[in-house]
Amino acid sequence: MDEEGNITRRRALIAGGAVLVFGGGVAYIGSRSDASGQHYVPDTTHAGSGTTGFDVDLDGRPIAGKRDAPVDIYYWTDYLCPFCKQFETETLPELGRKFLDTGDARLAVLPYPNIGAYSMPAAVWGRCVWSQVAESNPDAFWNWHSAAFAEQADSGTDWADEATFAAVTEQTDGVDRSAVETCREERSSSIRARIEPNVGVARESRIMGTPGFVLYNRDSGAAGKLVGAHPYENFAEAIEKVMEA
Amino acid sequence: MTGNRAAANRDWIRDLHDALGYPLTSNARLLVTAVVTGATYVVLVLSSFPQFSVQVLATDPTDVGYAVTALTREVYLTTGYLGLALVAAYAVLTGIAVTNALALVQRARRRSASTIVGVLPGLLAAGCASCGAGVLGALGLVGAMAALPFDGNLLRIGGIGLLLFFLGRAGDPRTCSLNGAGGA
Repeated sequence: MDEEGNITRRRALIAGGAVLVFGGGVAYIGSRSDASGQHYVPDTTHAGSGTTGFDVDLDGRPIAGKRDAPVDIYYWTDYLCPFCKQFETETLPELGRKFLDTGDARLAVLPYPNIGAYSMPAAVWGRCVWSQVAESNPDAFWNWHSAAFAEQADSGTDWADEATFAAVTEQTDGVDRSAVETCREERSSSIRARIEPNVGVARESRIMGTPGFVLYNRDSGAAGKLVGAHPYENFAEAIEKVMEA
Repeated sequence: MTGNRAAANRDWIRDLHDALGYPLTSNARLLVTAVVTGATYVVLVLSSFPQFSVQVLATDPTDVGYAVTALTREVYLTTGYLGLALVAAYAVLTGIAVTNALALVQRARRRSASTIVGVLPGLLAAGCASCGAGVLGALGLVGAMAALPFDGNLLRIGGIGLLLFFLGRAGDPRTCSLNGAGGA
């Protein structure tokens, strides 16, 4: 008697309601902001040296954690990448406290400009800020790094421009903007050239997006790969697996 | 010629209306549409970053909720509300297309093989939906999508356009499409 074969008012209402709930749910999940928003500054930071057994050139790169940590985490990132921001705010703080600050692993920040037109200039800003504070005040780099990710807008990449990164640099304590600007003018092309080989290593490892990670046991040569903003548990499991391999 | 075209357009709109309304004609069809819509949304969102999705699901399949939530947010942050709305619309239309295609296949089975031409637009609608999902998956790397016109939204609009076109061509799957244009 349910008018099988006809469009009934009841079914139309159910379908309409379901579409509204579906659309509303998707919009809610998509647009809700991160409540956690933590900011990680490692206990120790050092500038890398040489090329590792995994062919990653660490010379002068910012590395969180102790120099002699047994596991390397190569972290390819892009300041314009929302998924990287999720990793930075939701996973990195716990990962840092439990693996980097303890001396079990170290994390090298490597640019992988791939999201928008300003991805490469943003990577150059990051490298120049690091060059300026590496010796004197490495914590300032992490403060700048978090502030740059915090600038990401609700959607799109239009927020990323010269003015935004200049303002972040200006406002970060311990960073001398004029020195950074000089570095950008004089070293931009050499920095860009040095980014490419490490991006090549990521591509060879079939990392096709950011954030991308390779976990590398420096003693045994065992390696694992993670792509995307995985939950902390997946990182912990992968690091332990690589440590034991 | 113009008159014929206007009439064809009117027919297409009427048939599209019938096709979109078909899942409302029984509880079972409505349920099938809802399930296929949900499944398509999950597939589409996971295919926006396939490497990540595969790794998360391989590590712990119960993390599918985490992956869908994280990538829904990623789609919004990359392509805005428009991108998210297009993915949701794509999922709903796929739900309808698959429900209608099932009805067409059942009808074709009861009749002779000669009805295959009439069935074709409906099958193409369902095929287009699944092919579209595949294309989105193949191109769905976050960076690649960002490099496409309008952050990949143009591709999604194209997929939705094709779906609507074939749904309109097929019309209500319970009726024969014996109008002049089809030659069916």
